[in-house]
Amino acid sequence: MIFSSLIFTYAFLPLCLILYGLIKPLKGKNAVLIILSLFFYAWGEPVRVGLLILSAVVNYFVGIGIGSIKSNKGQKAVLAAGLVFNIGMIAVIKYSGFLMTNVNSLFGSSLPVPDIAPLAGISFYTFQIISYIVDCYWGKVEPQRNFFKLLLYISLFPQLIAGPIVRYSTIAEEIDNRHTTLRDYSEGFSRFIVGLAKKVILADQLHRIVDNFLGGDVGALTVCGTWYGVIVYSLYIYFDFSGYSDMAIGMGRIFGFHFNENFDHPYLSKDITEFWQRWHISLGSFFRDYLLPVTFFGHRNKYLSLALVWLCTGVWHGASWNYIIWGVYYGLFILFEELLGKKRMKKIPLVIRHIYSKLVIIIGFGIFYFEDINKLGLFLRNLTPANPNGFCGISEKISLYNNLFLIIVAIICTFPLMKWFGKLAERSDGSKTVVSVSGTVICAGLLILSSILMVDATTQAFLYWHF
Amino acid sequence: MDRAKITERLTEIFRDVFDDENLTISDETTADDIEAWDSLEHISLISAVEKAFKMRFSMKEVSGMKNVGEMINILVERAKKC
Repeated sequence: MIFSSLIFTYAFLPLCLILYGLIKPLKGKNAVLIILSLFFYAWGEPVRVGLLILSAVVNYFVGIGIGSIKSNKGQKAVLAAGLVFNIGMIAVIKYSGFLMTNVNSLFGSSLPVPDIAPLAGISFYTFQIISYIVDCYWGKVEPQRNFFKLLLYISLFPQLIAGPIVRYSTIAEEIDNRHTTLRDYSEGFSRFIVGLAKKVILADQLHRIVDNFLGGDVGALTVCGTWYGVIVYSLYIYFDFSGYSDMAIGMGRIFGFHFNENFDHPYLSKDITEFWQRWHISLGSFFRDYLLPVTFFGHRNKYLSLALVWLCTGVWHGASWNYIIWGVYYGLFILFEELLGKKRMKKIPLVIRHIYSKLVIIIGFGIFYFEDINKLGLFLRNLTPANPNGFCGISEKISLYNNLFLIIVAIICTFPLMKWFGKLAERSDGSKTVVSVSGTVICAGLLILSSILMVDATTQAFLYWHF
Repeated sequence: MDRAKITERLTEIFRDVFDDENLTISDETTADDIEAWDSLEHISLISAVEKAFKMRFSMKEVSGMKNVGEMINILVERAKKC
């Protein structure tokens, strides 16, 4: 069940709100959320719920084990067992096919290649539960003694499939004690509608352009056509993923949970280090907080630790070489900036830094797009003067002409418009009323327009559901 | 080395790592109080502290530190053992 579908927006979500509102005790509300989350996750693929519950059971006992064992050695052994289970589960489901294919092609063997269907959400909820058991070991959180509360944390449907990767510590108190204020409802619904609009009005429409250019014969694209395709793809991926995060954060608010932000206008970044502090924040912070210390304390080399973190970031995105290349690519730029130092970076004129960061990000998303390495090679060639198809063709001119309004709106929407509105509202009581009324009108308009577009059956699944 | 001297030395390290000559620290200072203090800078900070005090933190010590005061506590304990 996709968030940006009529069945979710007009059937599942209202049903959740009615049931959630009807039941008064918090225990009952939590039970409703667990049942509905499992139902949501089982939709279309019931088997995966079994794995989710298995993960919750195993990690519940890992947490309890860490909490009840006194010796550090014993705690470490329980944590290690938990990590082997969690990472092993992702490795088998997500990477075993890729690994065996590469082993076979490297050694000329014909070992059986497992064909396991991808399970949406596994990378996200497994990372959530890893953060929980590691935090239990580090003494940052108390192990949860009530299994159902832990199950609620791991299965909560707004963020179950594509994040944000919520830390247990973020919502631990709210599992036990929360209430939704009028402000939570208002801001939660607005956030959900903004996310829906980002996805349906912008991302899905931009995706059609991407399909026509990068999705077609990439070898035949002109220089302009290739750049046009990948720039539109960079806009698409931002609105697709941040739209999902907005919807997740908005729904969280409606149910009284306050998740951390996952995006902070990443295209305003002046360098690549800053980009990764603004893009998919929950993943970047997970690797920095959990993997970086582990690798660092292993060999005490900051640069090697960074390289490993970025390799893992690439691998996390999928079982394909382009994701690994993508991770290493970003790792190199982060290392470069780290070696250059913040002081020297700041001395570079702002315009140059913006051009540099946008170029790296846009080309990076090209690497991210092409799982077929041959096509990736053609794409990279076609970005340069080595392109044999000429500089500019008629198809990109027509496409740009037809979609100019959409692209300009999309570019404007990468700026912090909501923050600007917020600041405008703070000026006076009058401006607060104007902003409040116009905000409501804009949200209503966006919901109507999104609903009309959702009737169209071509609504795309969220890209990050694959990871 | 006593607590005051450790704090003084630590202030110098913080100023150097976070590139801020006017930075002051107290026992209650946390990563939230210093804008540049993210996980990566944390690694740089730990390396610098280890080098200056000629000691090694364990991973659990580092991840369990809630504020600068707890870092100083560890350094005081280590100084006693030396």
